Amino acid sequence: MMVAFQPVPAVIEAIDKKVADNHLFTFRLSESISVAPGQFVELSIPGVGAFPVSTAAHPGGATFQACIRRAGRVTAALYRLDEGANVGIRGPFGQGFPLAAFAGRDVLLVAGGLGMAPLRALLQALLGERGRVGEIILLYGSREPDAILFRDELEGLAAAGTIKVRYSVDFATELPWSTDAYVCRIGLVTELLRDLRFAPAQTVAAVCGPPSLYGCVLEDLARLGIDPERIYATLERRMQCGVGQCCHCVTAGVFVCSQGPVFSLAELRRLPGSI
Amino acid sequence: MRSWAFQAGFEDRLLQSLRGDYRVLAPVRGTDGVVRLQPVRSWAELSPAGLPLIPLKKVVFPPHDVLWTLMEYEYREPAPSSVPVALVGIAPCDLYALAYLDLVFADDPHYQRRRQNLLLIGSNCRPTPECFCPPRREPPPFDLFLAADRLWVGSAWGAGLLTALQAELSSPGDLPLPAEITDGQQQVPENLEQLFTASAGLPLWREVGERCVSCGACSAVCPTCYCYEMSDEALPDGRVARRREWDNCFFRNHALVAGGQNFRPTRAERLRFRFEHKMLGFGALRGISACVGCGRCARACPVDIDISAVLAALAGGNKP
Ligand SMILES: Cc1cc2nc3c(=O)[nH]c(=O)nc-3n(C[C@H](O)[C@H](O)[C@H](O)COP(=O)(O)OP(=O)(O)OC[C@H]3O[C@@H](n4cnc5c(N)ncnc54)[C@H](O)[C@@H]3O)c2cc1C
Ligand code: SF4
Ligand code: SF4
Ligand code: FES
Repeated sequence: MMVAFQPVPAVIEAIDKKVADNHLFTFRLSESISVAPGQFVELSIPGVGAFPVSTAAHPGGATFQACIRRAGRVTAALYRLDEGANVGIRGPFGQGFPLAAFAGRDVLLVAGGLGMAPLRALLQALLGERGRVGEIILLYGSREPDAILFRDELEGLAAAGTIKVRYSVDFATELPWSTDAYVCRIGLVTELLRDLRFAPAQTVAAVCGPPSLYGCVLEDLARLGIDPERIYATLERRMQCGVGQCCHCVTAGVFVCSQGPVFSLAELRRLPGSI
Repeated sequence: MRSWAFQAGFEDRLLQSLRGDYRVLAPVRGTDGVVRLQPVRSWAELSPAGLPLIPLKKVVFPPHDVLWTLMEYEYREPAPSSVPVALVGIAPCDLYALAYLDLVFADDPHYQRRRQNLLLIGSNCRPTPECFCPPRREPPPFDLFLAADRLWVGSAWGAGLLTALQAELSSPGDLPLPAEITDGQQQVPENLEQLFTASAGLPLWREVGERCVSCGACSAVCPTCYCYEMSDEALPDGRVARRREWDNCFFRNHALVAGGQNFRPTRAERLRFRFEHKMLGFGALRGISACVGCGRCARACPVDIDISAVLAALAGGNKP
């Protein structure tokens, strides 16, 4: 199939500004596209440029939802737009999380900061067929309590006993909350692993966060006994075309945009420089 | 492959027959000594020895291209030119380079639109000491290929051009292309992938890479370099244009992302990246060398970085 460079026209339907500089945008598309958890699109602000962004919701269809950090030139331009503004969406791109690999197993999700966004899409997909997976544990590290994304939603799920949630924050003047269903600690998300009770041999893990997170967490999970073939992470690179042409995203000879961005730890170990 | 002998003056009559229907471009040495692809009227204008400084990729993958324009809510693709281009006097290495780009851009509508309108008339080269083209199993893509006093037909399009010129052709036959076209000048080491992997910690990359001044000349002149950057431009008439422009993996921001993380922060890493792309290929094209050994990058580099010398050093030769 020929590469489509023209975006599908879309409008901003809603902007949830609960977390500063990490707004949750809902876009309404003029044509449905289906973006699986872990896949991404190129969001285009006409006249300014485009940037890659993961889906934060599942399923999408006529809407596309993404949590977007104000990080630079094009994202800042998006933040100047209001509901009703016109944008464009190209995609979907890449290989998402292999949902079949989760079936029949326990699930450990490890998120750092904005990495919660793609994992929320994965979580929604898993919850859509809740009976197909065992226990779901989320370990989620943030800078501070106010930076926690989807907090009401996650705590609702934890309170209902649907999933277990463990937060960590880098700073907090006091630990403001802790219940049976979810706890919060000060420190790095890796510390949440230390006394975690779970069954590594029957667990699939998905990790998403800044590059610094991958350096330690992925091998930690393998040491705890999760099969490296079943530890998944999604890589960030400077992506533009999304289809293995422009070459910005290449790592160890692999197009992260089209052959990734989701890889297993077993694959990442064969890609020097990937983590 | 079908082949005919031709008489003196045939080349000019071939050019003449193209003139009405094609934009005819060929490598011509200018008074400044630079060889460029430019319009020609007679075969004598062609530069027999020199490759064009900027290779023929610019015809199918222009340095600045517009992917679409947007007015109000309507996206439009720019109207393609309907005049076919005939590239004449193209050396085998440049034809092989085009074959590589054909693989890279197999699914690219903008490339394919121009490619399908491109007539290729190859001609034999005169290798220089800097040439290090690899041996080939297959002939390069062409519609017609001229070597000395014979021509070969590579496509139905090429055969069609000859109907009006039959009177000037004789001794038809089923002959292979001259061996020098596929023989190549230099073998690529068979275990290059292992040599490359094992070389990660060698000072070679830093020592050579440190010299690079990130001018971008090597990629601009490389017939198979195709990295690109996309950007938007507001046009004076109110439209928005999305542009696609040649990029260069030696530029510092090639792998830079928001927040300042750079996945190839040093020149050594960027040199290694370029070498890997040229010699080993990326993604599905891994294992197909993108370097056709034309030697352009070494000639263009202001600090004498020579990819063939790096290759030789990896294969156990002297330091570049
Ligand atoms: C697969 C993937 C998924 C992502 N998902 C999200 C998400 O869900 N939410 C979110 O907020 N951010 C996400 N990002 C990061 C986001 O793409 C960057 O924050 C964004 O490109 C910054 O653009 P900018 O123009 O504001 O920044 P600038 O620094 O001004 O960048 C200018 C240009 O550089 C390029 N660029 C800069 N940073 C990046 C980058 N990290 N990745 C790719 N290109 C870049 C883009 O072409 C951009 O237009 C994702 C990145 C990738 C690769
Ligand atoms: S010799 Fe240099 S310019 Fe020529 S194909 Fe190889 S890398 Fe490109
Ligand atoms: S031509 Fe030489 S100096 Fe310029 S970018 Fe290429 S390697 Fe660097
Ligand atoms: S984003 Fe262009 S090659 Fe991957």
